[in-house]
Amino acid sequence: MSKRLQLNCAPEVPAASLANRATDALRLGRFKDAIELLKRLIKQDPSPEWRNALADAYAGRARALAAKGMFKEAEIVLGNTAATDGTVREPLLHLQCLIRQGQFQKAGAHAFLCVGTGKVSASEAPQLAELAAALSLAVPIPLEAPADQTSERAKWVEQALNARQALSAWIEGKSEEEIDPLLNRIPLRSPFKALRLILKSLITAPQNPERARQFLDGIPAESPFASFRLAVSAALPGEPAEILDSWSRSNKVQQSFIAEVSGLPSTAFQTLAQLGAAERNGPAALFDFVVKRGADLPPADAKSACLNLLPRSPDRQPQFEKAFGPLPEFEKDRVLALAAEARGDWSRADRYWRSAAATIESGQEKEAKLSAGVIYRHLALLAQENPDVQTREVSGNPAIYYLQRSRDADPDHLPAVLQLIGLYRREGREKAWHLLAEEAAGRFPEDGAILLEAVSSAAARKAYKKAAGFAHRLLILDPINQPARQRMIELQVSHTRKQMRAKRADLAWQELMQAAEWERPDAPNFLLRINQGLVGLQLDQGAEALSRLHDGVRLAGGGVPGWFRAALEEALMKGGKTGAALLREELTKAQETEPGKTGILSIASATSSQEARDDKKAVAGLVFGIRGWLLKGSSIAWSAAEFHPVGEMFRQAGAFDLLGDYAKLARRRAPEEPAWRFYQLVARTKDDPSRLSFSETEELFDMADEACERQDFHAANRIRRFVDDLGTAAAPRRGARRRIPHDEPGGDDPLMDLLALSLEDTPPGVVADMVADLGKDKAITAVSDRIRKSPLGQILPNAALRALAKELVDSVIGSGGGVYF
Amino acid sequence: MSTNDPFTVLGVGEDAGDDEIKRRYLSLVRTFPPDREPERFQAYRAAYETLRDQRKRLEAKLLRPNDAALSRLKLRSLPDAKPVAARASKATVVALLVEGISRAPLR
Repeated sequence: MSKRLQLNCAPEVPAASLANRATDALRLGRFKDAIELLKRLIKQDPSPEWRNALADAYAGRARALAAKGMFKEAEIVLGNTAATDGTVREPLLHLQCLIRQGQFQKAGAHAFLCVGTGKVSASEAPQLAELAAALSLAVPIPLEAPADQTSERAKWVEQALNARQALSAWIEGKSEEEIDPLLNRIPLRSPFKALRLILKSLITAPQNPERARQFLDGIPAESPFASFRLAVSAALPGEPAEILDSWSRSNKVQQSFIAEVSGLPSTAFQTLAQLGAAERNGPAALFDFVVKRGADLPPADAKSACLNLLPRSPDRQPQFEKAFGPLPEFEKDRVLALAAEARGDWSRADRYWRSAAATIESGQEKEAKLSAGVIYRHLALLAQENPDVQTREVSGNPAIYYLQRSRDADPDHLPAVLQLIGLYRREGREKAWHLLAEEAAGRFPEDGAILLEAVSSAAARKAYKKAAGFAHRLLILDPINQPARQRMIELQVSHTRKQMRAKRADLAWQELMQAAEWERPDAPNFLLRINQGLVGLQLDQGAEALSRLHDGVRLAGGGVPGWFRAALEEALMKGGKTGAALLREELTKAQETEPGKTGILSIASATSSQEARDDKKAVAGLVFGIRGWLLKGSSIAWSAAEFHPVGEMFRQAGAFDLLGDYAKLARRRAPEEPAWRFYQLVARTKDDPSRLSFSETEELFDMADEACERQDFHAANRIRRFVDDLGTAAAPRRGARRRIPHDEPGGDDPLMDLLALSLEDTPPGVVADMVADLGKDKAITAVSDRIRKSPLGQILPNAALRALAKELVDSVIGSGGGVYF
Repeated sequence: MSTNDPFTVLGVGEDAGDDEIKRRYLSLVRTFPPDREPERFQAYRAAYETLRDQRKRLEAKLLRPNDAALSRLKLRSLPDAKPVAARASKATVVALLVEGISRAPLR
């Protein structure tokens, strides 16, 4: 008894108190205390209620001990609950304790005592019956039938005798015809069902292995017959890999069973066992075993097995050469390269692989060339994954070098060519990229991925006609490829713009007609329709052109986004006055509607194309034209992710006042979001990091580090790209645009920025020359014509343009030709 | 399957050509169709993808130590046996039953 109990439960403690404490201890699972209390209680009040409670406490204590793996102790404790007939309170637990102690004979006797007696709970009865069934077959328990032949116990005994008879018949080698009737006497609902299925499987296997396997599926993994089932399953005929698999997963007893039922000679069984043991001891031990037993094994397989073990035990090379002859130089290098890779020694791996490839690449055989290609591609992969891999032969990216070598050895390997094209493009090696893309399109004329690369390459060098040709080939291969159709239309539209800039509206129209062939009736293309409308206007197609234009604008989303798209197209093709005026008017009208996220994002998407990025002036003018409308969008609750494309558009267009307004309002809504502070700084400095103060630069570096820490690498890169421009951003722009210090009054005036941008191509000197050559009036007309083509010209009415030109000419004359105003 | 060696999984030699490998793969897929044996199918498919053309086979042979020859050495002992042609001894069966009884999970 514990000290605590001795102190608390003095002999004079009344029975009622003891009963309360014992009940509490039982309820709380404190079985040891409950046992002590109940023993004391029973001395005062030996009623059956407390005796039952004591048995419950013993059972609970036994369960707790068994759960800790203390089966012997659990069994002793359960012994305290034994009834006069020898049965205990928890028969299944008692049985399991005996089994876990390896007392199978005693467990068998105990199981037989309990089975079919009703002393086991209904939930435990099936498990106990199956354990009893397995035990009755494994150990020789005398099976005496009870007097009542109709009882459950009597039935169990009958089934056990039948099962024993069937198993003996199979072991004795009786035929299927003799065993089958015995098996049929075991009901499928009996605890001996698993044995019936196993024996059925074994006698069916020679004729129908699949059926044999299905029989075994009926035995659950937790059954006491599961080990027998696994052994039978592993012995069934199968594919070579499965036979090996089953063998290697089987334990010693199961392997013995497989060997016996398969008629495996003892020497073979021994060899397999030794091979398995050597394998478990590692590659060196396995190598030694195969070399030692080489004479008994097929020489080619023994040599090949040892060669494949060498990279995992390279110190065995002398033994290998002694047993199988000298190792070729190529194999030596390969073995050492693989061994170096296994150690993570990338530098050595690189050296040995290169040496191996050099040994074979000069060979004329196809396999030698392909092997060299395989090795160089492997080296390229190693170089990409491990910075330790360097080549002395070239500076720059070693992966590119190795892929080039792979291409030299094996030019027909398409994935390597695609990878090399991608690397050239990412590394900015434009010439190599375009050359390889074009050559690959000739070598792999029917490969969609290569043709797509050729399209991208040709489009990047503005060879739109050529790009369209590749896209055409791609569509011949894959006519329902909708992205390819879309790309084809885009390329031909790009070419249309080129024709329009060259003032060849007729050729542009022909191009658009060809592009229209790729348009599917169920997927009309807004870009095509808008361009058809704009070119049509140039060709005086009147109402028909207008209808096409309106159609395209509607397809592009209508309203401001739709008309912005049309105006951007017109600006990119440097269209004529008719279109520009019309678009200006429509865009002004459309701005009466309220802006939404989708509309603003659609505009941002339109300005992100390469051609739009190349024509900053056009974008700046158009964005300025819808400035008021865009400003209303600053009150929308943008998330940082949604806003990034919009922010990029504002940066591209130099609309820093808008960027600042958006960032300021967004920061009020979500002050914890660092993106808004970043955009505030970009807006304040007008995207010029040289205007950042020291503390702001530090703040941005911290912001980038924090972004890295939360793995937001897009944000980190965005910030670093901005800050890294510090060294290069200081060059002043040419022309009249003056750098305005950020703290100078008026420095944030977007109209002044736009005016400066628009006058970049018309500096005061040019105006002075015009005045000298043409006279004042004609100079005003010439200057207003030049401004009309600029971003400011997109938004100013003609009268205002003329007034501005006059002011400029007057100021140049007034200053003696030196400066404006 | 415990082995990852694609030659062993498909049951072909290292010198097998495209046609032989394809034939063997199709025969395995016919015997073990993906709807009935999805795991086996995946193993066969992965092995076939690893060996389906000459370059891939060279990769498997040159860049990774393969266990094909070792598997052949083991199989050389195993296929001699006629599966389930003989009977096991009583001692072995009893040992299997005892092992199963010992490993049956506690309730």
